[in-house]
Amino acid sequence: MTLLELNGVTKFFGKLAALEEIDLTVDEGEVVGIVGPNGSGKTTLINVISGYYRPTSGTVFFNGDKISGLRPDQIASRGIVRTFQSNVLFEGATVLESMLIGSFLQYKTTDWQSFLETKTYKDDHERVVGKVIELLKQFEIFNDIFLPAAGLSHGYQRMLGIAMALIANPKVLLLDEPTTGMNHQEAMFVVENIKKIGEQGITVILIEHNMKVLLNIATRVVVLNFGNKIAEGKPQEVMSKPEVIDAYLGTETI
Amino acid sequence: MPYFDYKNFIPKSVAWFVAALLILLPLFTRNSITLSIFISSGVWAIAVMGFTLILRTGQFSMGQAAFMALGAYATAIFTLQSGIPFWPGFLLAGIVSGIIALLIGLVVLRVGGIYFSIITLALAEIIRIIAERWESVTHGVRGLRPPLPPTISLGGLEINFATSAIPYYYFMIILVVITGIVFWRLEHSRIGGTFSSMAANQILAEHQGIHLMKYRVIAFTVAGIFAGYAGAYYASFLSIITPQMFGLWQSIQIMMMSIVGGISSIVSGALIGATILYTLSIYLSRLPIYNIQYLLFGAAVVLVLLFLPKGTGLVDLWGKFWRKVFREPEEYEIPEDSEMATE
Amino acid sequence: MPPAEIWIDGLIQSCIYMTMAFGMVLVFSILGILNWTHGQFYMLGAFVVYYAVSSWGIPFPISLIISGIVIAGLGMMVEKFVIERLTAPGYGMLYVTAATLALIFFFEGAAGMAFGLDDKGLAMVLPGVLDLGSFSISYQKIAVIAFTLVIMITMYIVLNRTRMGLAIRAAAQEPIAASLYGINVKRVSLIVMGIGCGLAAMAGSIMAPVLYVNPFIGRVPMIFSLLAIVIGGLGSLTGAIVGAIILGFLNSVIAYHVSYLSEAVLFVLVVAILLIRPQGLFGAPIK
Repeated sequence: MTLLELNGVTKFFGKLAALEEIDLTVDEGEVVGIVGPNGSGKTTLINVISGYYRPTSGTVFFNGDKISGLRPDQIASRGIVRTFQSNVLFEGATVLESMLIGSFLQYKTTDWQSFLETKTYKDDHERVVGKVIELLKQFEIFNDIFLPAAGLSHGYQRMLGIAMALIANPKVLLLDEPTTGMNHQEAMFVVENIKKIGEQGITVILIEHNMKVLLNIATRVVVLNFGNKIAEGKPQEVMSKPEVIDAYLGTETI
Repeated sequence: MPYFDYKNFIPKSVAWFVAALLILLPLFTRNSITLSIFISSGVWAIAVMGFTLILRTGQFSMGQAAFMALGAYATAIFTLQSGIPFWPGFLLAGIVSGIIALLIGLVVLRVGGIYFSIITLALAEIIRIIAERWESVTHGVRGLRPPLPPTISLGGLEINFATSAIPYYYFMIILVVITGIVFWRLEHSRIGGTFSSMAANQILAEHQGIHLMKYRVIAFTVAGIFAGYAGAYYASFLSIITPQMFGLWQSIQIMMMSIVGGISSIVSGALIGATILYTLSIYLSRLPIYNIQYLLFGAAVVLVLLFLPKGTGLVDLWGKFWRKVFREPEEYEIPEDSEMATE
Repeated sequence: MPPAEIWIDGLIQSCIYMTMAFGMVLVFSILGILNWTHGQFYMLGAFVVYYAVSSWGIPFPISLIISGIVIAGLGMMVEKFVIERLTAPGYGMLYVTAATLALIFFFEGAAGMAFGLDDKGLAMVLPGVLDLGSFSISYQKIAVIAFTLVIMITMYIVLNRTRMGLAIRAAAQEPIAASLYGINVKRVSLIVMGIGCGLAAMAGSIMAPVLYVNPFIGRVPMIFSLLAIVIGGLGSLTGAIVGAIILGFLNSVIAYHVSYLSEAVLFVLVVAILLIRPQGLFGAPIK
């Protein structure tokens, strides 16, 4: 069942086409890898899907509804949540605080109920805190919850980022280079977690440079180059395509 | 800036003691000057709370004094020219300033950042100019004389606002308490966390599902409502409202009170900053040295910003002091979120 | 058609705001902040010139230059000890804004304490008027215009034809790239702050004989030069000049025609610009 559909999505910055006529469908339960050399438009694609950019032309559909042109918070509340590569943190917040203030979408009660601190809200809050702790334990940053998030290593900051994305109740998770800057151990840890996320029924789209990761978990890989989709298919097939190897010549090892 | 460090710690016993002191103050002194110092401090504290709230959403407003002016003029104009009695007229003050804050906020908070600050500056000046020039309604620089609240008869007790400052004093305490409760709830509810997230990382907050405009407007409007009431109250207390009373420069002073008091706690910081700066300015202005209070306040703000950890103010120093003296570790090793204690 | 005096007054205003706005934009381009204290340097420059001329008898032109240098030095100290620290990573714009706003009161208080609150008049350094038939213009006002021209030409030469100017322009546009080319951005920032404050001080000095001198004369020029750079575009030097010209004449002409709410018109205009086209005339478009 098709969850996300991009039709002819194009994004111009001035005269530069960061994305050109991208057609893409993502079905529920897939783990789709987006690959391509630097500058090929991968992050722009995520920015467009998440609502940070509005496409110059073309449309994005989610569950049949048009979402291109909506605000990022509207798109997030519909269930499409993304992580960031840089600019991951809430400045000055501890790990716990980051998760709590980022769990806006996890709550089922209204602001007014929270203002009045009704019983319903208190129960909801307890439930949310429980989920937060669960996630923090899952990502092994529970021991640091009272520490400033900025003090975490880069790898753990990224994990916090993924935890924050998960607490926001995503149906589709957009991961922007989740393993970049991590050592092998941390990267494999993230991969395990992405597998778990997939098993929970969340559809995952991830930008990745690391082919081993994609071969491990991706159901499908989409290759971008200069804003165009140049290949698509199972990871094994795509890797051996000449145009893909061409695009990567001199950049990444496959 | 510490949108998260609730390091200010005022032991409950102390808070109750101070509260009792304030409530019983008129028993210790009938000196209207002392009372009026507390009254004025309260007025500015309310405006400061609004500024700090807006600051907590990441915006820097130079318009708080303008909303005080709007509230003050609204009350004065409605009661003087439409013959509405005092109390309904007073209630209108916050409604008027709130509606205008809402309308302005909806338009102006879209841009945010430095543009927003400049616009609030411009608005402060525009309102002052309108107040000066619209002679037929505002009487220009001469100003208006708002009425006093009518004498209230309760049982055998007569509360006469004209003969002493004491009724005004209790009126002020009620206003401050109401305002304080509202702002305190805002700060410590999920809404406060939402505000902080917007200030800490706007883009991340938006992608976590937070509608930025909505919360900016909420903060701006609430700040405007209570600033309006503060202005209306003050104008009634002083029996005058002129365009110079609540202008751009007062907005900047409100900012200074906020910073010196400390922004990590909206209510306490506002009360501390407003009381200290206002009281000092009264005493310093009596010295033969011209303008020393401006020099000191300007310097104080800069020093606070430079040397106290990331934006803490007096309220946090106060907290540190009590911690050193009383050392009650169990109270704050676990953060305000008591759910954690069960883990 | 307003009489010639209005146009001249507009021109004088344009000149002063131009000098101030130019300095403000320079500082904004390199340091990324709006220096709200800018008007205070105008005021302090006027005081320096006042005391230099009346108490120490230093001829006006030399006093002017002295005031520029002294206040430039003061500005550099403010930059080094306050602004630089508050724009370090981890601090936000809000810090610098709060600090520079607070410094307004600091300097006004200091000036009030040191010099008193009364209006001080500086005798016309160039007394007399030039009679041009239907209207006349005082020599002092001509001096203001001439001064501004000299300043603008000097700035043009410095920015476009000297190595320091090149460094400034590079640091303003691309600080990271500039530092990779060996440009010490911190030092350039310091110098630019000095230049900006010096310009403000000299503007205050040249105007001192035209109006009076007291601790509060910096407020209006600060606000108006801010309006000028909004009209012209916050990061643009050309914008500062054009904006100041537009603003100076607009202010003068509107005051003549519609004195009732003339002041408000300018502020409303600025609000409208910030809402509709925040980048002003020449600024870079914002996302």
